[in-house]
Amino acid sequence: MPRSITEQIKLAKQENRMALMTHVVMGYPSLEDTRQRVLLMVQAGVDIIELQLPFSDPLADGPIITVANQTAVKNGVTIKQCMDLATELSSQVEIPLQWVGYYNTVFNYGIEKFIKDSRRAGIQAFTFPDLPIDEEPYEHFFELASLAGIPVIQLVSLITPVERLKEINKLAHSYIYCVARFGVTGTDSKMSDEIVSYLQKVRKYVTVPLAVGFGISQPQHIRDLRDSADVVVVGSALLNLSLPELKDQIQTLCAAL
Amino acid sequence: MSKELFFKTQYEPDENGHFGEFGGRYVPELLMPVLIELEQAYKKAIQDESFLADIKKVFKNFVGRPTPLHYANNLSDELGGARIYLKNEGQAHTGAHKINHCVGQALLAKRMGKKRIIAETGAGQHGIAAATVAAKFGFSCTVHMGAVDAKRQAPNVFWMQQLGAEVKIVEHGTKTLKDAVTSALQDWIGDPAESYYLLGSALGPHPYPMMVRDFQSIIGIEVSEQIQEYIGENKKPDYLVACVGGGSNAIGLFNAFLDDPEVHMIGVEAGGRDVTKPGEHATRLANNSKVGVIDGYKSYFLQDDQGNVESTHSISAGLDYAGIGPEHAYLHSVGRVEYTSVSDEEARAAFTKLSRSEGIIPALESAHAVAHALKLAPELSSDKNIVVNISGRGDKDLFIVNEKLNAKINN
Repeated sequence: MPRSITEQIKLAKQENRMALMTHVVMGYPSLEDTRQRVLLMVQAGVDIIELQLPFSDPLADGPIITVANQTAVKNGVTIKQCMDLATELSSQVEIPLQWVGYYNTVFNYGIEKFIKDSRRAGIQAFTFPDLPIDEEPYEHFFELASLAGIPVIQLVSLITPVERLKEINKLAHSYIYCVARFGVTGTDSKMSDEIVSYLQKVRKYVTVPLAVGFGISQPQHIRDLRDSADVVVVGSALLNLSLPELKDQIQTLCAAL
Repeated sequence: MSKELFFKTQYEPDENGHFGEFGGRYVPELLMPVLIELEQAYKKAIQDESFLADIKKVFKNFVGRPTPLHYANNLSDELGGARIYLKNEGQAHTGAHKINHCVGQALLAKRMGKKRIIAETGAGQHGIAAATVAAKFGFSCTVHMGAVDAKRQAPNVFWMQQLGAEVKIVEHGTKTLKDAVTSALQDWIGDPAESYYLLGSALGPHPYPMMVRDFQSIIGIEVSEQIQEYIGENKKPDYLVACVGGGSNAIGLFNAFLDDPEVHMIGVEAGGRDVTKPGEHATRLANNSKVGVIDGYKSYFLQDDQGNVESTHSISAGLDYAGIGPEHAYLHSVGRVEYTSVSDEEARAAFTKLSRSEGIIPALESAHAVAHALKLAPELSSDKNIVVNISGRGDKDLFIVNEKLNAKINN
């Protein structure tokens, strides 16, 4: 059975390191590949895995993840199949698995049913970047998920004002995801000093651990973040690696934590 | 006494941009501060009389407003029913109504100190209009366009480039408007401080649906004045007909009359080749599509059973979109506006009909509205009148219409 995200981050802390979160797109290039990829990531030492529910119009993702989403959609991957695979994986791994995706997937599936089925599948958290806290009074998604014991992860960015950070912190649980640079997911940018000072600012107003993602691909990126983040997220940079390459790359990244 | 721009109706959104259950701001956190800044800048601008004065000046001197309202006597006589009036937005600078919200947003972007305009385009008319205001008001400009649209609207790509815009061709997904919207949003997410996202229809996250509607409302305001010359002082039109892709020209015509219950309004969607087959049409409201949350707002969207956006088809690129502006979704849900569709074939026939009987070559989008008016007019008595919005002129459709006509001849 998977641990909770809070427990996993604590475990990494006890080992005096950051936690590593990686990402897969469910059904890209196939569900069987996703299964192998997740198990390999676990074996290679990853702490948390984001399982992305494929969606046709992933507006917060860059070209690499967009194409992966659209390929999975084209292959006819269903949310039910994703739930089934998550159930199977949860029975085999100890690290937390969480959903990431777009809110229309949840809305279309039925909010309550989605939460119920995800809970049954052993999912430990949700990240739906296109559902900001401002829509919570209309959707009640945070409320229903938290009643079921599944935290909803929120994102903050370089331009999130302090007042908003405080509001976001009120609903925060497990960790807050800091978008480390402008732009969508991708692999082409450098980590900057600006990001470190940004994380220090966020830390002042946020009481849960900080995860940092978007644009992280190199061990040096990870070393740069050592004093300012609790979790580092590597997504696009791993998406198109073959299984042997993936294992090597994760081990390299883990060594930098 | 006619209305002034920025008037309010009983169908306004709440403070978070929700029109009933539709609309809102379903966007990544990165965009929230930017959208909040935009909303505040807009609210401040519309309180400032000089903003309204600037817009009116540019509308008159640059856009060439008011556009004419023309009595289609030949068509009306031939059909033998209601009198048909054509609001000819094709006469506006750049050839379509899109210039209205481009002017408004460019003047707002200027006030906000932005340097670059980002736009998406389907038919290319919005892209042309965005590139035009960028040139006029001193912005650099990036227009995102799906590869399929770019191919079928090749002249517009050329003209955008002539106007100094960079045209970014979107090669992923269905390569049409929906992918252009996603790509433009991604571009904006990457450069929120310097750039202004000049959205091309009354859709997307709040405040765009409200803002685009407000700038487009000049169409209905003008009609309410111009129609009096034909039907008498303080008289209202009986029917308003407009095509609906995202819905900017339609809401622009309708808005000034929403609080007049005696005015009937009809939005015409793209029936494509077959309204019963997914991927063959773009009728969202007339065909009972599902409510969803896509491209930053909640509305009706054509989706598959997993909630993925379905591909769409229309002879007109501007109507070829899976979603519809949230205010239209709301007006549909409360029964204020009726929504229907016409097929590609009907639109094409109406295109030819209007050209030959009235000497006006409409855009294929607008030809959808004409096609519905051709059906409606004979059912009504001659003391009734219909105002049809000719949202744009048909020059841009030269190749597509010619191709279809050629195919017909060859068959």
